Amino acid sequence: MSAPHALIPRNALVWLLTAQVVALMPHLPRLPLWVAAVWLVCAGWRIQIQRMRWGYPGILVQTLALAGVVAGVWAAQGSLIGLDSAVMLLLLLFMLKLLEMRKPRDALVVIYLGFFIVATAFLFDQGIPLALFQCFSLLILVAALVGLQQTPGRSDPARAMRTAAVLLLQALPLMLVLFMVFPRLGPLWAVNAPGSQARTGLAESMSPADVADLARSGELAFRASFEGAPPPQPLLYWRAMTLARFDGRNWSRLPLSAGQAHGNWQPEGEPVRYQVIVPPSHQPWVFSLRGAQTVDERLVLNRDFLLQARRPISQTMAYSASSQLDSLLEPAGLEPLQRRLHLQLPEGFDPRARAFAAELRQQYPRDADLVQALLRHFNVEPFHYTLRPPTLGRHSTDEFLFDSRRGFCAHYAGAMTFVLRAAGIPSRVVAGYQGGELNPRGNYVLVHQFDAHAWVEAWLPGQGWVSFDPTFQVAPERIEDGLESALRGEGSFLEDARLAAVRYRNIGWVNNARLLWDDLNYQWQLRVIGYQSERQMDFFRRWLGTADWQRIGMISLGVLVLCMLPLAFWILRPDLRPSAPELKAWRRLNRRLARLQLQAGAGEGPRAWQQRLRQALPRQQAELDAFFDAWVRLRYAGSDQAGRATELARMKHGLKRLIKALPRRRPPRPTRLAGLPDGEQQG
Amino acid sequence: MKDVLKHAVEAVNQVLLGKPQAVQLAVACILARGHLLIEDLPGLGKTTLSQALARVMGLSYQRIQFTSDLLPGDILGTSVFDRDSGSFVFHPGPIFAELILADEINRATPKSQSALLEAMEEGQVTIDGATRPLPQPFFVIATQNPASQGGTFNLPESQLDRFLMRLTLGYPAPAAEKMLLQGETGRVRLDSLEPVMTRQQLLTLQAMVPRVTATEAVIDYILRLVTRSRESHLCAWGLSPRASLGLLAAARAWAMLEGRAYVIPEDVQAVFPAVVNHRLRASDDPAGHGGGALAQRLLAEVPAI
Repeated sequence: MSAPHALIPRNALVWLLTAQVVALMPHLPRLPLWVAAVWLVCAGWRIQIQRMRWGYPGILVQTLALAGVVAGVWAAQGSLIGLDSAVMLLLLLFMLKLLEMRKPRDALVVIYLGFFIVATAFLFDQGIPLALFQCFSLLILVAALVGLQQTPGRSDPARAMRTAAVLLLQALPLMLVLFMVFPRLGPLWAVNAPGSQARTGLAESMSPADVADLARSGELAFRASFEGAPPPQPLLYWRAMTLARFDGRNWSRLPLSAGQAHGNWQPEGEPVRYQVIVPPSHQPWVFSLRGAQTVDERLVLNRDFLLQARRPISQTMAYSASSQLDSLLEPAGLEPLQRRLHLQLPEGFDPRARAFAAELRQQYPRDADLVQALLRHFNVEPFHYTLRPPTLGRHSTDEFLFDSRRGFCAHYAGAMTFVLRAAGIPSRVVAGYQGGELNPRGNYVLVHQFDAHAWVEAWLPGQGWVSFDPTFQVAPERIEDGLESALRGEGSFLEDARLAAVRYRNIGWVNNARLLWDDLNYQWQLRVIGYQSERQMDFFRRWLGTADWQRIGMISLGVLVLCMLPLAFWILRPDLRPSAPELKAWRRLNRRLARLQLQAGAGEGPRAWQQRLRQALPRQQAELDAFFDAWVRLRYAGSDQAGRATELARMKHGLKRLIKALPRRRPPRPTRLAGLPDGEQQG
Repeated sequence: MKDVLKHAVEAVNQVLLGKPQAVQLAVACILARGHLLIEDLPGLGKTTLSQALARVMGLSYQRIQFTSDLLPGDILGTSVFDRDSGSFVFHPGPIFAELILADEINRATPKSQSALLEAMEEGQVTIDGATRPLPQPFFVIATQNPASQGGTFNLPESQLDRFLMRLTLGYPAPAAEKMLLQGETGRVRLDSLEPVMTRQQLLTLQAMVPRVTATEAVIDYILRLVTRSRESHLCAWGLSPRASLGLLAAARAWAMLEGRAYVIPEDVQAVFPAVVNHRLRASDDPAGHGGGALAQRLLAEVPAI
């Protein structure tokens, strides 16, 4: 049997249930609906327990509930392993724990679990709205914690909330210091990427349909900020991967391109420095302009001169790079293996395209001329840029080049590469993003999924790999102004995402709000989420002049002590200690009276002091009496809570009136300290 | 009930002129179920005060005049052989009354003084091996002459501590003394005093005293006073927990006499000298008689709020 005082206070339970709802909310969109039903049952049961209507569930019910929950997770997620399942299981157990709370200690466990659950939400999302919401969750959880400590007689939910808010505000400086100096450890284990299947982005192989899908998405691909003005939009070809293998339908990556870069290249041109922030894509692709170099150790330059992350990007990553856009790639010659790989074509496909290539070859013996002629072909012939191409049959390149002539970048790049290879020129498709939207507010470029693009790189003797964009020949506005203007007549721009703000760019305030919001997000990503070990080290070097952990530890400890010492003094000083309202009022009044050279004696009781003041301030007697009567009642009458509240209000009102009525200067008559009561009689 | 108290105080004031504070303290002492010691020079009205109190409260009372040859049996009673029944019969002494006036208590020997001790603390007496309960309520109002007077045996501290209050009366003010000289003698007035309350009413009033509210603020104040007496180098020893209990009870009774349902620091201050004077001794006063100055000092130094 637990003593009556060991019950969970009602107040704490109210906050605890609220905290559970709040902690669950960010997870709800990922969870099946029955999870909410489980919570309702548990909460209802808990309330009945609190009202002493129902008892605690027996061991059988508990076991059944546990089995049911595990089975439910299995059914919903298909597995018990993995982040989604683990979080779901945790949430369900968090709810079931309601039925096991008997003592305040159990409630404490549930509240601590709540803090953990608040943290798990950040595994799925790290945006600003969630961060703000989770601050709110923390507030509720702390309020539950405070409520748990309140005695049954003095439980007051509003007061718990106030205390919690004050506590959190007090913790804020500490949080900021820890945010700045706490070591950023690398991941100790790899978490199976949540939601990796759901996210749009570039894939390792490209079929036209995939690119069309991307073009319909208004989601953000990445952001890039430049040192100085960004290069003009037609130069912003963000290379992500090269696709060199063709199976008759799709272009895909060569596994061999994952090798290391080699020295066979010549940097040319003014370096462009930029910083890119990539949201987690769970793939190793990062985005760089031609001729990129970086000192970032998490990235490597692969043999196709693409930057690539060493491991899949599981959290938002920021990296800096510089590019020299006129660099020559492999100008000195192509290795035989590479040449063969970049001439590969499947047998038995597209005879008409091959014939067309042979015809071109006959006409233009020089490779460069042939490429130009092919581009002219795209320009002169009636090709049409559309996101709604007709479906193509087996000989897709043939049908596209000679029959339908309708398509978008993937079609053009694929067809051009096919023809070049058939003509004996090593070439490949490059997938990435083209252009981007400049956010003038933050001076950075926003690249959306619909900026996904594919173009061609052909190897020409003496020049190495040269970029060509057949899409530019067909729809130059796509390159110069972006996808939206290229599709103006068609209306297929973001046709599946009617509510996406990007769609309404032409409405002034919508666009402003969108850009402002994106800038906020950008700064958040850059300064908060992106504050990882490199930036932390930069911060230390700049402000502390060192990046040595030992010294940083000492410095942060010193700062902490410096911050805490005044706080400790403040807390420990008895006259400043937060105290009952009547004592605060007493001190306030006496401070005010000290200006009139009136001072209460140490052993002077309230009524004696009142009498002395009545003599010293005869004009304020009414106010003095009103205040002192209320004050004495409040402090000594020991009324119940309701009575105290009215007495408190009366006392405060009396204080206000009294202070207002007091003269500004010393009253004319000097006063003398009156003797203590009945001193004479007893001496 | 409040009126009854007011009448009682007024009635005693008619007999003992010009000492309202002492009278109210004496009544508060009785309300707080404490024994009262009145100490002063002969002829200042000690006996008059105690007799007036006894009459006004409407209690059965006995007066014991303590002398140097008083024996414990004279106080408690003795067993006398009854020839008719052939057995010892207990003849109760004057202690078996609701109110005892122990007049000039320090004129008796310590042995006789101690006979009162058990009675005062336990509310019972043990005679010839048999424990006999005393009536309820049971009070002792003792008077004594100052120790410096001839033919006195000092009450030991242990016995002094049994008294809730010690009052000193002092000389009357000239105006009061003039009235005394012009009017009837105190003895005549005393005889005309009528009880203003019944025994039952007194018991009810006493039961109300502990219900007077004393908030934490007041209790903290009492604790501060007591703690200061224990820590101060001026006091030879500090106040006992019995003293702090007595202080709280007396302050409650005083608040009730003031017509309030809660205690304020002024109540504590009003009863403090009477409650602690006989329990304190200045460390530079080995003979030790009264800590009046100490009590005043504590009151002035210890924060009241």
